[in-house]
Amino acid sequence: MSELRQIAIYGKGGIGKSTTTQNLTAGLVEHGKKVMVVGCDPKADSTRLLLGGLAQKTVLDTIREEGEDIELDRILKEGYGGTRCVESGGPEPGVGCAGRGIITSINMLENLGAYTDDLDYVFYDVLGDVVCGGFAMPIREGKAKEIYIVASGEMMALYAANNISKGIKRYARTGGVRLGGIICNSRNVDRELDLLRAFAKELGTKLLYFVPRDNIVQHAEINKKTVIEYKPDSNQAQEYRNLAQAVIENKDFVIPTPMTQERLEEILMEYGMMELADDYKI
Amino acid sequence: MAKLLDKQRYKCALGAMQSVQAIERALPILHSGPGCAQKLSEQIGSSGYFSPNIFPCTSINEKDVVFGGVKKLNSTIEKSLKVIDADMYVVLTGCIPEIVGDDSGEVVSRFNEEEKPVLYVPTAGFKGNNYKGHEQVVDSIIDQFLEKSEEKEAGLVNIWADVPYQDLFWLGNLRELENLVRELGLKPNTIFGYKRGIENIKKIPKAQFNLLVSPWVGLSNVKKMERKLGIPYLHLKTLPIGATETSKFLREVGEFAGVSKEKIESVIKENEDYYYYLIERYADLFLENRVINKQFSVIADAQYSLGITKFLVNDIGLIPAKQFVVDDTPKKYRKEIEEEFKNLNYGIKAEASFETDGYLIHEEIKKHDYHGYPLILGGYYEKELTEDLKGNFLNISWPVQDKVVFDSSYVGYRGGIKLLEDIYTVAVQRFN
Repeated sequence: MSELRQIAIYGKGGIGKSTTTQNLTAGLVEHGKKVMVVGCDPKADSTRLLLGGLAQKTVLDTIREEGEDIELDRILKEGYGGTRCVESGGPEPGVGCAGRGIITSINMLENLGAYTDDLDYVFYDVLGDVVCGGFAMPIREGKAKEIYIVASGEMMALYAANNISKGIKRYARTGGVRLGGIICNSRNVDRELDLLRAFAKELGTKLLYFVPRDNIVQHAEINKKTVIEYKPDSNQAQEYRNLAQAVIENKDFVIPTPMTQERLEEILMEYGMMELADDYKI
Repeated sequence: MAKLLDKQRYKCALGAMQSVQAIERALPILHSGPGCAQKLSEQIGSSGYFSPNIFPCTSINEKDVVFGGVKKLNSTIEKSLKVIDADMYVVLTGCIPEIVGDDSGEVVSRFNEEEKPVLYVPTAGFKGNNYKGHEQVVDSIIDQFLEKSEEKEAGLVNIWADVPYQDLFWLGNLRELENLVRELGLKPNTIFGYKRGIENIKKIPKAQFNLLVSPWVGLSNVKKMERKLGIPYLHLKTLPIGATETSKFLREVGEFAGVSKEKIESVIKENEDYYYYLIERYADLFLENRVINKQFSVIADAQYSLGITKFLVNDIGLIPAKQFVVDDTPKKYRKEIEEEFKNLNYGIKAEASFETDGYLIHEEIKKHDYHGYPLILGGYYEKELTEDLKGNFLNISWPVQDKVVFDSSYVGYRGGIKLLEDIYTVAVQRFN
């Protein structure tokens, strides 16, 4: 049996981290892999497509209502193809400390023995920005060693990706965490592929996979399914299978070299992003 | 730069709980972890109504960190109001709720309509030490409880001095400051200690002026009261100990309040006559012990370091070695305080060092030639050091462990005599 790979997925809010993670998971399941997905977002929508709806009670809700003396099956549900799904959850918006909540729930998962030997992959789907230490939990303390950043050709997505790389660099110095690459979730921006390649190169990593835009993803989401489950024969399903293959085969793990704001803007300029911004009319 | 904490002489801002406890029938409600509360409780003088060791506390835990502690705070206040008969309830927050972002101010404001006032004081430890925390308590009283008064009471003077309990002699000192102000024919008003409390707090806005007797603690409070309540203030940096400073104190306060020169001088004369009668009678004691106590160092907060240095130089004729100010005085006040140390009689100047590292202080004391037995007035940390140096030691600043103080004081003419008694009690014990 191969060694457990723990992977954290970061990226700008709304970029499609959860969608990409779940479709990627479905792809890995087809390869016979045993996968656990841990949603690290107070919105608790990281496992919806695998479970066929928001069927999951979050770890923190369970702790809040039932105390800490709980069994694993209260917080871990089985989804598509035998994937194990957990949602960390969080406090009500505007109160408490969601970062600490993630620390609490990952510790609880460990204590309850969720990390079994038969697992091949654990994915941590982390909310938009690494706003405080708590959201870096999956890459601290030797949990996730691999990180993929989901981005697109949009300016803000690249800003966020660069910022996240700073966090990775910080933890890479002391722990073993490495960046495995950028996954592009395409927004059909001009010269997106070139831009993402150049951006990834500047970060010292590579564009792991370019997932094209396809409305079938939205259709699958409305049906609370991954594309692979919803339309296994579609082109997009094949794209996610390819992404899964790329993850399986990936061996390039680096400490990223985040760029200065000036350099980032230079790259954007080079690929025409800034000029496009000038054309923007109301 | 990271600093080693060695013989720290203050607590975190939450230590301001003691300032609340010094207000009669005011109850602190802590929104903090149980450890903070436990560590802040004092051992001595902790019986009676509202024991300083017993108070409501939300005792927050990990669950409250994740989900926020506001519900618990709400119920703790609610139940405190039901169960404990107090005049004023003061919610003090520790580090955790302030970091997590609990909106404690909002929770407290839900109790605005209660019969008794409920106040909120943000005292997260990272905001500074208990000197700053004390200021925060007074600030909250000004902001949340006091309103400007058109009606003024002639001669009414609010007196503010250093931090209750942190200053072991706080109660006696305040009473003596009141006595001095009263002798000038004015009406002193203080809020800390026996039979002061909420009725005196309500009187604050009617005062003719605020009198602040402290090198820096409370300056921001009197400035705020000037802005919000329209009360002018007189700031005297030196705690008056002995005749020189106390007479100066009476002249400055009297003049500011518009007391006649005649009245001021007659009060001074009466007090000085008795003071110098005592000094004269014990001149033999000073003479016989002239080989000791030539040079001295004070290791204390700014008020005692400055006040005692002035007394020992101006009244007793000792020579100051280096003086140590250990209250982490904010940098903006330091220059002016340093100047005060140079403003001594006979053209003598004292060097003051703002230092919080006990090790460095001790090293400096060991290095210095005191031309005889050093006289060290400081915290209990200096006891062993002074023994090693074969000097004379008096424990006058926190931590105090070798004496019990109920309400005695070093303030005023009587306070100067009391300090002399204490110093020479140590001195004569050397030979007897």
